[in-house]
Amino acid sequence: MAENWQLHVSPGADNDPVFVGVGEIPTGKFPDRSFIEALTKVALLALKDAGMVPRDIDTIMLIPCLHGAADQADLVFSRMVEELGIHGSAKSSYMVHSGGSTSDNATRAAHGLIATGHAQNVLVLQCERWGSADLNEMITMLAKNGIPGEWELPTGIQFNAIGAMITRRYMHASGSTAEEMASVCVTLRNWANLNENAMFYHKPLTVEQILASRMVADPLHSYECPPMADGACAFVMTSTGNARKRGLTTAVRVAGSGGCVSHYCLSQEADQAVLGWPLAAERAWNQSGWGPQDADIAQIYDSYAAVTTTGLEGIGIAAKGEGARWCAAGHGNPGGKLPLNTNGGLLSAGHTGVGGGTALLVEGVRQLLHRAPSKRQVENCQRAIIGGSGGSYMDAQILLLERTKLGA
Amino acid sequence: MKTPAIVSEFREGLAQGKLLIQHCQDCDKPNMWPRYACPHCQSENLGWLQSKGEGVLHSFCVLRQGAPAGYEEDLPYAIGVVKLDEGVQLLVRLEANRPDDWSDYLCDDRVSFVAVDAAEAERRPCAQFRRSPG
Ligand SMILES: [Zn+2]
Repeated sequence: MAENWQLHVSPGADNDPVFVGVGEIPTGKFPDRSFIEALTKVALLALKDAGMVPRDIDTIMLIPCLHGAADQADLVFSRMVEELGIHGSAKSSYMVHSGGSTSDNATRAAHGLIATGHAQNVLVLQCERWGSADLNEMITMLAKNGIPGEWELPTGIQFNAIGAMITRRYMHASGSTAEEMASVCVTLRNWANLNENAMFYHKPLTVEQILASRMVADPLHSYECPPMADGACAFVMTSTGNARKRGLTTAVRVAGSGGCVSHYCLSQEADQAVLGWPLAAERAWNQSGWGPQDADIAQIYDSYAAVTTTGLEGIGIAAKGEGARWCAAGHGNPGGKLPLNTNGGLLSAGHTGVGGGTALLVEGVRQLLHRAPSKRQVENCQRAIIGGSGGSYMDAQILLLERTKLGA
Repeated sequence: MKTPAIVSEFREGLAQGKLLIQHCQDCDKPNMWPRYACPHCQSENLGWLQSKGEGVLHSFCVLRQGAPAGYEEDLPYAIGVVKLDEGVQLLVRLEANRPDDWSDYLCDDRVSFVAVDAAEAERRPCAQFRRSPG
């Protein structure tokens, strides 16, 4: 596709939107941690990280939860404005939702609000309680999400079946072996072992253990399916001008973004071994002025290994058909040529519903701010590729982020 | 809510052993899944054509556990995406080669529509396919 689609903000301009802080609490099973308590904690952590207090925030953007309608309604109806004590001064509070790619779209929304002046300081909040929810209820609920009830529900499709079909097509098209697919999960676990907030911190995993685990949805073994988790995270965005006034010296800007919504239900995807990644990447690279070879880390949606391997290929990190073998060669590992999902991703840090992509984004920003714990901080991290996907892998969304110095 | 006509007519087709594809009377293109307006030309002048029921299996899986509520009794079962020769795609159930065994299936296999009896079509109103002989 020949198109020249540029962002209308100049790097370093006063209205150039930047990330200035992140917050996160541990992911896993925390039945006694309340929804609002978790949201409050991550909000305050992100604000502290940004050098702000709640009064500085004019706009709250909510990332949805999937575990329950009442909590979702609390988000939509501005409960967090009151919990943070900014009722009366906050300008707006609302939700952005595109499933697993919400973090990418929330970033775009905040970016647009800040660049145009609709917002000054935006707090983005996410919390999910999948780990504490009833598993069978969630399976049945998810069988009605991203699946047309009248046409496809009668087949008995559910989320692991969707992941399994993408995996099988990817393996068929690329000639990847079961061992090579499992190596993607091992790469993620290697990173989770460096992340105290990960659900599977300090739980090493091998290819052999994965292949010996129960077959859940051929060709997916149970250790290749995402563990449903409780988790929460947050980030703060402001303008470069505001950040400078507040005395900040470094921040993270959006160099470019690209997306492609390739289907609603997976049955209508033209090629399950490709998905929307190539067009999304072309659009993103066109805006950024730098390419995959210039990135220091990649944070690519990983609810199933094949979602990540198709992403690695579409984004141009691995050659076509080589995504799984790229992981098997250790390129995404700690110390590898391009650290991949350095928080452990959804598969090893935990699948927090819509929040899995948010956690990947938050980790990318944290790495670029050089605020990750030293054992997993990627040295001199300057550029990050963030990749998200929502629903039944309906879209591929890419954010290209870069560390920026805020001169006076 | 009353079942929309495009849904009930598609399902009646299945119960009669036919796989129907929505067909636009104005631009002559096939639509699957059926739509309320033709996504190609926006016409609402839509009808049906009977598919030849032949296509290629793009991908599939065998679900062994974690069925949605109401589907537990079917486990294990196989689901696949078929690209029909008419140029549209749909999600289907795949017939086992042998009881509970789908090991003969491969991506890109030629597959054929299987008519089921009206009771089964009512119980599971979705198309069933099997590997084409030869
Ligand atoms: Zn038409």
